[in-house]
Amino acid sequence: MSAQPDHTARRALAQSISVVERGGAPADALIASALEHLRQAPPGAQPLVIGITGAPGVGKSSLVSALSDQARTQELRVAVLAVDPSSAATGGALLGDRVRIDERPDDAGRFVRSLATRGSGRALARAAAAASLLLEAAGFSLVFVETVGAGQADLGIARLADLVVLVEGPEGGDEVQAMKAGLLEAADLVVVNKGDRPGADAAAERLRSGLALGATPVPVLVTSALDARGVPELLQQIIAMGASRTADGRIRRIAAHLVARAEGRLAERIATADGDGTLATLARSVSEGEMPLTGAAETLLGDGRSA
Amino acid sequence: MTAASPRVGWNVAERSTPIRVLIAKVGLDGHDRGAKVLARGLRDEGFEVIYSGLRRTIDDVVSAAIEEDVDVVGCSILSGAHATLLPKLVAGLRAAGAGNVVVVAGGIIPEADRPSLHEAGIKAIFGPGTTIGEVAAFLRANVSAA
Repeated sequence: MSAQPDHTARRALAQSISVVERGGAPADALIASALEHLRQAPPGAQPLVIGITGAPGVGKSSLVSALSDQARTQELRVAVLAVDPSSAATGGALLGDRVRIDERPDDAGRFVRSLATRGSGRALARAAAAASLLLEAAGFSLVFVETVGAGQADLGIARLADLVVLVEGPEGGDEVQAMKAGLLEAADLVVVNKGDRPGADAAAERLRSGLALGATPVPVLVTSALDARGVPELLQQIIAMGASRTADGRIRRIAAHLVARAEGRLAERIATADGDGTLATLARSVSEGEMPLTGAAETLLGDGRSA
Repeated sequence: MTAASPRVGWNVAERSTPIRVLIAKVGLDGHDRGAKVLARGLRDEGFEVIYSGLRRTIDDVVSAAIEEDVDVVGCSILSGAHATLLPKLVAGLRAAGAGNVVVVAGGIIPEADRPSLHEAGIKAIFGPGTTIGEVAAFLRANVSAA
């Protein structure tokens, strides 16, 4: 058996992520001290935060695992935030991304954390932005944020990440699919994964031809997370494209955290108004013509109580 | 509709967030049906369940438990290697400063082996026939408030 790896730093970081997941004053204090630490640190390169998104089952986790291995060969410290959905009914979650990600217990240059969405109702956890700031303060230079298998319209990752990589399977749609607004619009880079399967190159060609009709060209790469084909090229492309974007990254991540907090407060208000019948009362007032729609919506936004 | 579900995985009065559980398979043991049934069942009981996947080492599991900051590690063993692997898991967690993590085991573990496993720090052993509800109730009762 190998010598016992030192888990002290890893454990402190993991516990601090739990604190920001729980929220409240302890979370604010931790984020503030991380930002203070970053202000005191000599100005250097900010980390590159890469959003990895795409439909369920296209191989996002496997690709992140392969990209992490590749990044470690270049001595880059790599962290992964892997987000999976929470049940709206029970609050429970099955976080299965670690199944695809190789464990490297002896490597202090790697950190993987699963986050449940915990009621964000989105493809990201509300704590993702705050967690990315903690990872920055802990000295990681490459941070992958893997979203819930997202569909066409969940753009929250674009606010948080410096660069958004959309992963597609080898059987994506036709050229018209690539012309639609939504997630493809937010993608800085498109990857057709499972390149070991037939059809991947043709799918990439269709995507290229659909995306070519847009104003800014979006590169389309083919990878196979299974045998790492195309993975070194993908990492090289990510780093080349990301280099110019990290300058205001910290500001954007703080902004993303502020938005997540505001959304959390709004969700709490709506849940309260729903639970105590205020929402139904407001709806009835609108129905009876006693209250204008705008007034009712403002009341909901204001204090969650009917006037 | 948003009224609190009666089946939440944590005591609302004590905890603001779900109990986190790592379900782990260690060693050369490919039988993961039970682990998957438990992972899915605890999800339905309101727990946040991280599944390790197959054939992990003890070091892998300790490292994952640390990074995920879990309250519980549930280790499923059907290979007969429980007498060596489970005490190593507890020792590994303690050495990593995570001795407060509740370690429970499931699978085929003979009655005769159980006292020494309990002595080694395994908090509970769930054999065949245990219901998800029993496991959930045990974990809720034995995980401290956070």
